[in-house]
Amino acid sequence: MTESLYRLVYFSRNALAGDAEAVRAEIESILECSRRNNAAANVTGALMFNGGCFAQVLEGPYGAIQVTLERIQCDARHSGLKVLAFDRRSARGFAHWSMAYVGAAANVDRFAHIAKTSAFDPSALDGEAIYDTLKANLADSALA
Amino acid sequence: MTKTLRWENLDTGLALLDERNVVVYANPAFATLLALETVSGRPAITSWACDLGPDTRQTLERRLCSNEAGAVTLNEQAPNPVTLYIGASRDGQRLVVGARGWPVADDCGLAAQLDPLTGIGNRLMYERHLATLCEHAVRPAVAALMIDLDRFKQVNDTLGHAAGDELLRLTADRLRKLTREDDVLIRLGGDEFLVLQTDARQPDAAHGLAQRLTEVMSRLFLIEGNSVEISASVGVAMLGHGTAALDDLLKHAALALYQAKGLGRARYCVFDPDLEARALARHQIEFDLRRALGLREFVLVYQPQNSTRDGRISGFEALLRWMQPVRGPISPAEFIPLAEEIGEIHAIGAWVIRSACFEAAGWADPTLTVAVNVSPVQFENDNIIQIVSAALKDSGLAASRLEIEVTEGVLLTESPEVLERLWSLNRMGVSIAMDDFGTGYASLSYLNSFPFSKIKIDKSFVQSEHSSRSQALISAILAIGTSLGVTTIAEGVETPDQFAAIRAIGCHSVQGYYISRPMPAEDVADYISRFDPEPFLRHAEQEQIA
Repeated sequence: MTESLYRLVYFSRNALAGDAEAVRAEIESILECSRRNNAAANVTGALMFNGGCFAQVLEGPYGAIQVTLERIQCDARHSGLKVLAFDRRSARGFAHWSMAYVGAAANVDRFAHIAKTSAFDPSALDGEAIYDTLKANLADSALA
Repeated sequence: MTKTLRWENLDTGLALLDERNVVVYANPAFATLLALETVSGRPAITSWACDLGPDTRQTLERRLCSNEAGAVTLNEQAPNPVTLYIGASRDGQRLVVGARGWPVADDCGLAAQLDPLTGIGNRLMYERHLATLCEHAVRPAVAALMIDLDRFKQVNDTLGHAAGDELLRLTADRLRKLTREDDVLIRLGGDEFLVLQTDARQPDAAHGLAQRLTEVMSRLFLIEGNSVEISASVGVAMLGHGTAALDDLLKHAALALYQAKGLGRARYCVFDPDLEARALARHQIEFDLRRALGLREFVLVYQPQNSTRDGRISGFEALLRWMQPVRGPISPAEFIPLAEEIGEIHAIGAWVIRSACFEAAGWADPTLTVAVNVSPVQFENDNIIQIVSAALKDSGLAASRLEIEVTEGVLLTESPEVLERLWSLNRMGVSIAMDDFGTGYASLSYLNSFPFSKIKIDKSFVQSEHSSRSQALISAILAIGTSLGVTTIAEGVETPDQFAAIRAIGCHSVQGYYISRPMPAEDVADYISRFDPEPFLRHAEQEQIA
């Protein structure tokens, strides 16, 4: 018997301080931490970010999602977290943990390697309205 | 042999027993601990128990008879007693470890100080901790943050108690994540938590944590597959920052929490001594208010209502005054909201209706009406009908002479029961007036929902009648009154000019200091007999000509 699979999609404001380089270092540490914790908890997903926002998709068993969310909720590096979707899924959309920069073109190069090293697959975000909403939110915050 | 040698040097007391509980070996630390010269080769119980009380001796004997592991504390009354951890008996051997202090398993009653649901401390732990702080010679920098969940009951009611318990567990986890290692976390009970911050830089640390707590607690929880959004209110009290005594810390944090709740929840408030003074004052006034009726401290004063056409008195409004012997007269604006909150309004309101009816029944002119204010709270049950009909019957006052003044607050809930109660009074022949019209929602639908006999124009319009906006609003209210066939009365008329203007614009009646201040009941008869409308009318006519 396999455990039911859940998906949680949230969006939050980036509270990271410092210049782009400091942010990059912080993001890499978040990514590293996510990989470690989430692999152990059987959680996969995607973290998208730009200068102003984080958007994250978490997939996994209910208990693991709850624990992960609680950890994220107490993280001071972001605020104004909004859960956009929480539902049961039949299959994972992200087989691995991945991460991508979605935002102002000027910074795309700076963060490109993160997407590359995390094997971010943009196609996994296509076809579902919730991902379009996520991307739109990220784009808005990049403009602001 | 090498092993034994190492045991010799150990700081921890160790002893090995055989199947008959004879001491095969004990290291020097063990002998020192039990203050014995030599312990090896003798039965444990005879050598160890020589100066133990009968109870401890019996416990030790029982423990040694059993093959299971256990712990026995010797000389429990001693400040730092010796505890023996006796291992389970295996192959005829068991190890005994002796150490200073209480058994770890019981660790100074730690289990009793933990909340079984959340694993954080309970009230007992708070008290133990407070006692420890009290022993400090220097006043410790300590802050208490009392946290209360804002919508816990709804979670319990809608998702069930298991979900409520899970929310409490997750809350405790969030507290753990947001606090430092040496902060003390307590669940005081229900959905109330406490964080004791010690040795932090105050007041900054407490402000920072309170801010963070309110923010993080407003973030979504996943509970049994449901997204649950609640919030928390936090009350903060700090030693040396408004709180002088440790014993007051919890009380002051609770007062600050109460204030945070009152300000709309999902926020934190820090205790300041004014808060306590206000709470005490409120407590005192509440205490006095509950006794005021019994001590006959309430009086009704009567203010005439006059026709603008001929200036004659058409009736009086009964106004409540609280003559508090210590504080002097207290205005209804001050004590009525409190009376409504504590429910005392029901008894006070009934007294007002009854007294006004009896008073008016004694007036010489049988056409004069008496207006009585009734709180929306009094319309929450059917008693109001009983109270009015009994007052009319017992006083002999004609129902048509009683006017009940209600504010829009009565209709706010749009409850059919409330409307039915208004109709019941109406069917008795009592008139219902809409008080303070224009200050609240001034909703026309309220005017439409019930046949009010009178609209009372609030004094704020009357007293600024020189502004064209107020003029326009008064005209509009009068026009509504005319088309609905409802009479209009302007209150708060204080000057000849205001009287003339209100009269000129077509309002039916006036009430205010210009005609007369409210008077004691015993002065009413004399006032009626001596009243002369002429000077008021003459002045108003001169104004109009001018």
